[in-house]
Amino acid sequence: MTGRRLFTVAEMTLRELLRRRAVIGLLLLLPLAFYLIRRDEYVGQSVRSLFLGIGWAVSTAALFSTIGARSIEPRLRMAGYRPYELYLGRLGGLWTLGVLLAAPFLLLVRLDVAGLNYGAVALAMLCVLVVAAPFGMLIASLLPREMEGTLLLLTAVALQMIIDPATTIAKATPFWSSREIGTYAVDHMSSDYLVRGLMHGAVVTMLLLALVATVSSVRLRRRTHLRRA
Amino acid sequence: MSAESWLWMLAGELRRQGLDPGQVATVVTDARNHLRDSAEDPYQTFGAPERYALAVAESLAGPASRGRPLGPVRLEARGISKRYGRRHVLRDVNLTVRSGQIAAIVGANGSGKTTLLRICAGLLSPDAGTVTVQGRISYSPQEGGTMPFLLPDEHFILVGAGEGLPRDRAKASGRAWAQTLGWDDVGATPARLLSGGTRQKLNLVLSTLAGADLLLLDEPYQGFDRGAYVNLWEQLWRLRDEGAAIVVVTHLLNQLDQVDHVLDLTEVAGG
Repeated sequence: MTGRRLFTVAEMTLRELLRRRAVIGLLLLLPLAFYLIRRDEYVGQSVRSLFLGIGWAVSTAALFSTIGARSIEPRLRMAGYRPYELYLGRLGGLWTLGVLLAAPFLLLVRLDVAGLNYGAVALAMLCVLVVAAPFGMLIASLLPREMEGTLLLLTAVALQMIIDPATTIAKATPFWSSREIGTYAVDHMSSDYLVRGLMHGAVVTMLLLALVATVSSVRLRRRTHLRRA
Repeated sequence: MSAESWLWMLAGELRRQGLDPGQVATVVTDARNHLRDSAEDPYQTFGAPERYALAVAESLAGPASRGRPLGPVRLEARGISKRYGRRHVLRDVNLTVRSGQIAAIVGANGSGKTTLLRICAGLLSPDAGTVTVQGRISYSPQEGGTMPFLLPDEHFILVGAGEGLPRDRAKASGRAWAQTLGWDDVGATPARLLSGGTRQKLNLVLSTLAGADLLLLDEPYQGFDRGAYVNLWEQLWRLRDEGAAIVVVTHLLNQLDQVDHVLDLTEVAGG
């Protein structure tokens, strides 16, 4: 039963997003702009910016999808869904969307840039979209109004772009992992970068998921004043 | 057209429908109060005066359940109080609804009708009081409750999965319920492109998809035309006769003869 519910929520999340064709176009445009903006200067930086663009696109999709679902979630809860079925199902849909968004860019990099570790590029893309979906969901859970959520997301991504990745505080930013894996993929640095990136991505994802779970479970909890006869 | 002109035409139409002067005065006063409180356009809220008058006349002629044996208590709200800041919206409100009953919650705008219904549904915590329910609850919100880019069938599948309905059964059940509300062509139109009335029908269908022992409806007829409005009440009476307990938040006080229990929150607040 849980599996079918998870699949149904994931499917409907994906259908809802894919039906917004203009939004999908803009979600593709965002990473493309990040990629092209410094393409002529230094291709390594261009690829790392692409990862950030994918992260931003998926986070934004997650933000709006989660805010849009707020009005139907109480109904779904009453229909029998458990909170974890709702947020994990949504996450599944968003991760699938992320893979669909990232796939053409992986192909673009493969065709446009020679001499990269393409497996690591794919891994960095996967890492950034895995982090981005719960990140956007968390912002939407904490700031359920679209403008506030968008501004916070903008702040987080802008900070990620301008901060020196070597500093300690950079490690507290959500997409630091993709930068590390990206450096491994582009500059052929030691595997320490890869391991650090993967570790960071896993920890941040788990942390974000735990926070999303907590906020969602509180919001969709069974109220104590309601008793069953 | 001004609200007073609309009310004047409504009075004429009500007289033409054969309502006695007392009933006409009550209906017009209720409508005037509602329009004054809400500052809404009468055409958007009630529709054309002749249609609204016809709907009122038909609802006054509808069946009531008085005299029939009642079933077990499905909803018992005791001592419900709620305030927002310093403002008490609900103060020690009680409501009991049994299987086979329709209860109406009425009151002026801001009197706490929707708040009480959300508390009964378990979506909002009261400051004091308890709600005891028996059986499967279903809730239809006044607005929202749908996904703008999903098709009606996809809504049926999504809600149906929570209730354990297989896809085909959820779709069949949703379409069958839609037909009872005069919505024959469910089609492939996303919810955002449905008219206000049809979206509200979708909202209602989702509430009744797998059957409910306790149905909580917040102004379920918004945007309905006369035919849909009559269909809705016929379905509610049928569900009641089949044993459902139904709570309807309404501002159409003329319906009150057709329900079994009325909770006027204006009186509660005033008392």
